[in-house]
Amino acid sequence: MDILWLGVFALLLIGYFALEGFDIGIGMLLPVLGRTREERDRLVAGMAPFVLAGEVWLVAVAGVLFGAFPHLEGETLFALYPLVVGLLVSWVIRDAGLWFRRRLDGRAWRAFWGGALCAGSYGLALTWGLALAALVQGGPVLTPLGVGYAAVVVGVFAIHGRRFAAWRAGGPGRTGRALLGSAALAAVPVAVPLAVAAPWLLDHVAPSGTLRVLTLVILPCVPVMVAAQVWVWRAFGRRARAGVGARVPSFF
Amino acid sequence: MDVLDLARAQFAVTGVLHFLFVVLTLGLAPLVAIMQTRHVITGKPVLERMARFWGQIYVINYALGVFTGLVMEFQFGLSWSGLSRYAGDVFGAPLAVETMGAFFLESTFLGLWIFGWGRLPRWLHLACIWLVTLTAYASAYWVLVANSFLQNPAGAEVRGDHLVLTDFGALLTNPTLVFALPHVLGAGLFTGSSVIIGASAYQLFRRTREWEFFVRSLRVGVVGALVGILVTVGFGFAQFGPVGQIQPGKFRGAAVGTSLGFMILIGELALFGVLFVLTPLLFRDWLARWRWIHPLLMLVTPMPFIAAILGWLVREIGRQPWIVYGRLTVKDAMSPGLTPGMITASFVAFTAVLGLLAVIDYVLIARTVRRGPAAATLGAPGQPDPAAPSSPCHPQAAF
Repeated sequence: MDILWLGVFALLLIGYFALEGFDIGIGMLLPVLGRTREERDRLVAGMAPFVLAGEVWLVAVAGVLFGAFPHLEGETLFALYPLVVGLLVSWVIRDAGLWFRRRLDGRAWRAFWGGALCAGSYGLALTWGLALAALVQGGPVLTPLGVGYAAVVVGVFAIHGRRFAAWRAGGPGRTGRALLGSAALAAVPVAVPLAVAAPWLLDHVAPSGTLRVLTLVILPCVPVMVAAQVWVWRAFGRRARAGVGARVPSFF
Repeated sequence: MDVLDLARAQFAVTGVLHFLFVVLTLGLAPLVAIMQTRHVITGKPVLERMARFWGQIYVINYALGVFTGLVMEFQFGLSWSGLSRYAGDVFGAPLAVETMGAFFLESTFLGLWIFGWGRLPRWLHLACIWLVTLTAYASAYWVLVANSFLQNPAGAEVRGDHLVLTDFGALLTNPTLVFALPHVLGAGLFTGSSVIIGASAYQLFRRTREWEFFVRSLRVGVVGALVGILVTVGFGFAQFGPVGQIQPGKFRGAAVGTSLGFMILIGELALFGVLFVLTPLLFRDWLARWRWIHPLLMLVTPMPFIAAILGWLVREIGRQPWIVYGRLTVKDAMSPGLTPGMITASFVAFTAVLGLLAVIDYVLIARTVRRGPAAATLGAPGQPDPAAPSSPCHPQAAF
């Protein structure tokens, strides 16, 4: 049971990096990849259907941390206080950029929320890098290693975002396999600390009574969760775009 | 203010903002789902336009519910690590189930609904909004399970220095939960309906060109408000029994007493108004035709929001000084080592960002109402999709 919940936790966190990494990457690269407003609209519209289904992985990570590792929840989040605050503010600003950008037509409005999307994405990547490094070192929130690690996270997310944009645009060589490769790359910065921290996580797992209850209630939801995620990728993946609905303008 | 006051104020501000948006989400989701269902069955275009227009308001509102919810969820670890140390083995479980079994699905299905207009088969697209409603209700249930545990720590025992879960069934059927859940869901339905009534009244008062659209919306709003207010008031009074037994001193303080009094006043006036004025005036659409009554309907639209906040204040202030009633005080639950600098900085950051976004969000909702259904962009047909490559030599193919 302990191993099962460690696995769930690891899977959710790795899933977040693989599935949300490209959204963050596109957000960071928005001014670079999208030179004109039309290009930026196209980039955001390309990632839009995947964002809601991608960011929920981190919400689930927080939930599992609270449910299955309750003593770590307080300890870890508090130890990383400034980084968690920074991560939350970045996350909210990034999402506000997405939700608000297309609500009005004005040039300044779109530019402002495009900027929020970009800045928030950088904030997310940087605070993740710093937080992971601080966790592994068990020390202060700002170290030279942390800064280096943050740069690595920014780098892999940027690569992942670029691959996704290329995959969405289509054309020869822009295969799903290449996207899968960059997803794996984006997951490395979190998979390594997870492997290092596994014994420590196992030491802090909730008592078996709590885990039994969690397993009993959440296990039946897992097939639905997987099906919903697969449905998103089937409905909005590249092949689906040629269909009738391709004429509906994007909401984000 | 000391650190404890600041930490409490931070949670209260985030919680109030969260509740303002969530209460509307809970109410609009089923109403939009009903509109879309009627469209799919009857094929009437006006019903589809209603689902898109009110759906757009629902979606704009949803964004802030998520932002404030994220900040709240993480605040448990930031400011209140003593709670997870003492009661995490019990309290964490319903929150974990909420994130995985409810919110995860709600958000995924909402993405499918928003971006699936015209792409998904009609019935599957309809299923998405019903799944969103169902998971939103499930979310409310699990959050209230967690909250009710704080009001009445049922199903748990003290072992050493912390609580352990002994009876999951008791946690799920907590007496402070069973009447509170329908009370909150009813309040949500009433709030969503009030927004539809107020917005329709605004358009009708302005002699809208969309007469049929807003007359129909007004009818949906009044029926929803009737069901919502009956459930809210009924289950509101039903709570006095169990709460009186479990938390005997709950309503004694001045702040709690005042809040409770005003909330009951709003609730009873609303019940009276909906039952004896709005519902009878649906006869021959008098409510839609009598323009003098429309400004009044617009004026009372904020009332359910105020009542919802007052109700929340009663529930939470009434358990002070306890965070887990009778077991752990709020003071002891605060993260040890939390400094005035930390809490002030995060308080300013969260309040500034969330407060500003909340104002912008309401302006966007008001603007959507003002511009009317013709300008709704959610699921709007007929324009080329920017995500689709326009030509073989697409700029993105360059990298």
